[in-house]
Amino acid sequence: MKRRTFIKKAGIATAGMLAAPYLLPSGRLFAGTGDRLANHVVVVLFAGGVRHQESIDQSYLSAQGFATTGNLLQNMLVGNAPSTNLVYSPWQPILSSPLVKQGTLFKEMRYATGPTGHFNGHTAAITGNYTDVSLNLNLNPDFPTVFEYYRKHTDPARSAINSWWMSEGLGPYPALNYSRNGMYGPMYGANYLRPATTFGSYGLDYLSDAITFQPDDVVKINSMKSFLDKNFDKTAADYPGIINTPEDREKIKSFIYQTLNKTSTNQIEWPLPPGISTAELTGDLVNMAYAWQVLQNFAPELLVINSFDLDACHFNFTDYLSYMHKADYGVGWLWDKIQHDPVLANDTILICMPDHGRNELPNSVYDANGLRAFDHTSDENSRRLFALIVGPAARVKQDQVVGDLINPVGETIDLVPTVAHILGFHEYIPGGLLPGRILEEAFV
Amino acid sequence: MKYFKSLSALLLLSILFSGCKKDISQQVLYDNVIYEVNPVSVYANNAEKVKQKSSEQFISVLYSNLTNKSIPGDDLNNLAELALSFGDKELMNRVLLENMLGEPDIKIPTNEEMRSNIEAFVNETYLRFFLRNPTPYEKYFFKDLINKDASLTSEMVYVAFAQSNEYLFY
Repeated sequence: MKRRTFIKKAGIATAGMLAAPYLLPSGRLFAGTGDRLANHVVVVLFAGGVRHQESIDQSYLSAQGFATTGNLLQNMLVGNAPSTNLVYSPWQPILSSPLVKQGTLFKEMRYATGPTGHFNGHTAAITGNYTDVSLNLNLNPDFPTVFEYYRKHTDPARSAINSWWMSEGLGPYPALNYSRNGMYGPMYGANYLRPATTFGSYGLDYLSDAITFQPDDVVKINSMKSFLDKNFDKTAADYPGIINTPEDREKIKSFIYQTLNKTSTNQIEWPLPPGISTAELTGDLVNMAYAWQVLQNFAPELLVINSFDLDACHFNFTDYLSYMHKADYGVGWLWDKIQHDPVLANDTILICMPDHGRNELPNSVYDANGLRAFDHTSDENSRRLFALIVGPAARVKQDQVVGDLINPVGETIDLVPTVAHILGFHEYIPGGLLPGRILEEAFV
Repeated sequence: MKYFKSLSALLLLSILFSGCKKDISQQVLYDNVIYEVNPVSVYANNAEKVKQKSSEQFISVLYSNLTNKSIPGDDLNNLAELALSFGDKELMNRVLLENMLGEPDIKIPTNEEMRSNIEAFVNETYLRFFLRNPTPYEKYFFKDLINKDASLTSEMVYVAFAQSNEYLFY
């Protein structure tokens, strides 16, 4: 056994692991249960409560009494950016063609029932069921999550390393990687990660002094642990949280140390345009940067991430606009990375959907620019949302817009059936669990 | 006669009340036996451990076991947040353990100390991590293991204990 500065060996081990990827170029080792549209799904919960007006309707400042309109989501939607009354710093789009050209936009969807709160919105999206649960309950949801459906109904059973849930913040969100449902639960859960903590200052402060053991030493340690465990009738399976296989744990541990090393040596690639300082990074962009690290290392079949900074709209409309613009850049950046990856390119479908909308009328707060703030208190406007489904032309209809204000198409709870359809396990989910439907309009 | 009747009634009441007198006793049950060398509570056996440690409890106890001092509040809060940031708690516990072992103020017996009195080391390790004495078989197993394997270090023994299932419970 040797002490070390914590990174070197972990980096070497990980390099070895990457040199011999455990996933085939198709991204799969085994035949799936059903027909698939793609082998990888990335879901971006474009969260924090997004007003339809400033996103899809491209109204920019018109709700604030200014005539200026324009498209803040230049990487996702077609439309010219605002040209006057700018309260944000425009970034050149990273995509030459917006995502809507590479997929289908569900322009008007509904968050039909239940409070339009963030935890409710996330829970509805991830479980496919609306919920009345109050905010900030650190409880795993009642209904199974999309991760559990995926792992239980995709044969042979998928390891947790193939499904990830990455949130911008903590709060109740770590609890969304598996449910309390007796037929599913932690054994089918996703690997949860909050990068801003694991790879942020806490990770760098507390995870930089690791010792490592030679493989022979690990065998001896495991042998002693095995002896100790035989003399105790309770297992670690009773411990809260998901369980990875020993092999996957080693891969993930190496990934953690390797990524900390890359962070501390400024080797993380950030979703920023050339020449833009890292001071411009937001929590959303940090989450997307590390989501790419996960995608690059593990090529998971199912990855769900969120952005959350847009929630600044409660008190700062100017920041809300800026964060929306930056989150759009992050989505475009992530898609661009995926399209340049040998495993993920042309075999990934991206779904981008807000957790819920935002009120039509402002609250009483004005920001420094005199712009009014908006809450989300379950008015009809806060039930308006959209979804963008992007993927290979052979599988996803390109440059298509579905639904309008008069005829909304789709609901929040349709996300889970749609993901299950893409990954080929929808028909194996027991009846009665998913009230939503597959958003079939998006697929060829 | 009247005096006699009063005396009889008093006597009867006295007998009645003395017959209803209840002996009150207090039974004190101790969860653990007090170990006489160090002031720590000791389990009679591992079957008494039925509750899982929370992340905070695990971190706090682990820090105490490795440093012989209490973890500062800020460190506990920060490490608890770190533990919360990853879904596989066992994996994160292992990562935290590896990093605590790398810190300079760790108090682990040296290999020489371990081998100078293996039985005492085994006893102390069981007490330190499991808060109980080893069974004769457990004691034999570790004494034999350490005697036979010169490359086995005290640090490796500590890691095995800290990663064991029993250590996750109290």
